[in-house]
Amino acid sequence: MNAQNLEKKPVIKRESKNKIRVDFDRSPLKDRLKAKIFNFYFLSRIVIWIFRMVLMIGISYIVLFPFLTKIAGSFMAAEDFMDVTVRLIPKHFTLDIYKGIITELGYVEALGNTFLLSFSTAIIQTFICCLIGYGFAKFKFKGRNLLFMLVMITMIVPHQTLQLSMYMEFRYFDLFGIVKLLKGGGIEIFGFNFKDISEGAASFFENLNVLPPEIKWGYFEDAKGIGDYKVRMELTEAGINLCNTYAPLYLLSLCGLAFKNGLYIFLLRQFFRGIPDELEESAYMDGSGTFRTFLQIILPLSVPMMITVFLFSFCWQWTDDFYSGLLLGSSAKGLLVNIIDIPSSLKLDFEAVELYNSAIRNTCGLLIILPLVILYAFCQRFLVQGIEHSGIAN
Amino acid sequence: MTKDVKMESNSAVKKPKRKKIASLDRRKARAGWFFILPFLIGFVLIYLPMIAESIRLSFHTIDVGGTGSVGYSLTWVGIQNYREALFVDPSFVQKLVTGLQNLAFEIPAILIFSLFMAVMLNQKAAGRGAFRAIFFIPVILSTGIMESIAAQDIMGEYMEGTEDTTGTGESAANQLVSSMDLQMLFSNMKVGTGLVDYVAEAINNIYNIVNRSGVQMLIFLAGLQSISPAIYESCKIDGATAWETFWKITFPMISPMILVNGVYTIIDSFTTDSNVVMAYISDVYMNNRVRSSAMSWMYFLIVAAIVAILASILSAFVFYQRKND
Repeated sequence: MNAQNLEKKPVIKRESKNKIRVDFDRSPLKDRLKAKIFNFYFLSRIVIWIFRMVLMIGISYIVLFPFLTKIAGSFMAAEDFMDVTVRLIPKHFTLDIYKGIITELGYVEALGNTFLLSFSTAIIQTFICCLIGYGFAKFKFKGRNLLFMLVMITMIVPHQTLQLSMYMEFRYFDLFGIVKLLKGGGIEIFGFNFKDISEGAASFFENLNVLPPEIKWGYFEDAKGIGDYKVRMELTEAGINLCNTYAPLYLLSLCGLAFKNGLYIFLLRQFFRGIPDELEESAYMDGSGTFRTFLQIILPLSVPMMITVFLFSFCWQWTDDFYSGLLLGSSAKGLLVNIIDIPSSLKLDFEAVELYNSAIRNTCGLLIILPLVILYAFCQRFLVQGIEHSGIAN
Repeated sequence: MTKDVKMESNSAVKKPKRKKIASLDRRKARAGWFFILPFLIGFVLIYLPMIAESIRLSFHTIDVGGTGSVGYSLTWVGIQNYREALFVDPSFVQKLVTGLQNLAFEIPAILIFSLFMAVMLNQKAAGRGAFRAIFFIPVILSTGIMESIAAQDIMGEYMEGTEDTTGTGESAANQLVSSMDLQMLFSNMKVGTGLVDYVAEAINNIYNIVNRSGVQMLIFLAGLQSISPAIYESCKIDGATAWETFWKITFPMISPMILVNGVYTIIDSFTTDSNVVMAYISDVYMNNRVRSSAMSWMYFLIVAAIVAILASILSAFVFYQRKND
């Protein structure tokens, strides 16, 4: 280009007193465009760009299409399911399904309960996993690798394998057989029952009248609102029944054993490894203890990662039906995952009733995930950001 | 007296100085134990008994609500549950085989797809943020209850279908690509029919694959982000093409992530409810609880063996970048 310009010198015209116009002798626009467009690099970039866009939009369509059909179906009236010409766009626009679900299936109450449960367990899980991940990332102690293997094992063993024993564990909850001992059931060591030893203890406590036959906390039977405590314990000889409370989930969360917590611990450990040690060392020099350093220096640094973990645990708890079905017993009835039903006002009988019921179930699903969509819209930028800085590759 | 005190204070000043180095390590080790204490307590008090109980139960038959106050009673039957699951139960072995076949199909598909998408999403291009947001929707939303809603979603199938109007028939349009089309396309290219079928099946299962490769994509993205741009720059200067750069730089650098993702994918896909064997075990759980736990322990052992074999094979090919070069 420069060489060309030197050959053909620019023409300088003086238009007025303090304005000049310089005309470069350029090749015509057609030629320039030709040179720009018909070269290999430009063309291949265009082709790749189109290919990329097609692929991305295609996959986005695959991801979004089920939601689109659900949304479309949720606004349809019953007649539309009879009409074969109606596919994605409702002919008779109506909000009946939404109204039915919200008013008849106790949606609002379930929303409150689920929020309370998911929020509290997610907070607990995030904090506990941060603690554990930090412990594994930054401190050297004997058996660290072995212990981390144990974390991996908790991830590998599916909870379905443990479902029966997990149910037993919380249905007859009894640490070290203490409850059994106090109630005079004897103490069991490796299957042998030493009843004689404990009878004294049990009768002693019974004489003192310290332990009531049944411990009740809060108002379980008449718990209605969000604020009501839902804790109830039955003390029987076989142990405490925790399976009508949220306690099993809280206990699992407190120990970093809940759903996919091994993954969170792994991610957080990688993240904390990426934080330079000098940061903590300078804090120790200033006389800060390890826990205080963790709380005041490390945690504020790791907010994006914590939001990622929080988002995962919150959403997975929100839509979880395995644990709530297995462990929560009757107290799971007030959760969103159990509201899926056909509202009685919408119980119709016509030819396409199967389709209509399916649409109602889908609408239930939409209403369940609606709060998550809102949360995701706010949190999604942290999702990648948090993991980006984790230096996970090492 | 004063001298002694002075001596003492002197030594008191000196001694901790030497001691401090040793005790700092010990103190940090203790702090480490303190940090992982919640897990340790939970593991010993809740998880270990659970595992032991589960293994113990698989050797018993159970009678819930039987002998009065204790709530449930057990009878030792030895390996009867295992034997029944393997030889008496008509469909367990069959389901196991299909489950493992599905696993062998899904894992490469998910790994390749998620790596591909992660590379795509890592490039700076228009709409990257939006596509990222969309691709991670399934991880967040299509789990648990949504999975079971999707399983009985007749309406979605109906809407997808374009030609069949009965609404209850199978949706032929659901199959995006039939392997016939592909075979015609590849007939001149001398590609094995096995591969063609595999690709066709992968494309027809694309929804499933997209749904389940979210976490893997996230981990791959993190791995890609951690590769230093300086390496790419020097490659570019040396005249390497994008294809070469991918195989010579990107692929080795994220090979540890492939290992992690491979293991995660296996674990994830054999614990989901949609898995054939898991679904069957859940079914059995409703009728015969102890046999289901025997089955799931067998299944777990098989999959653990697969994980171990695969991890040992893959880790031979993993490239670790040494930091102090």
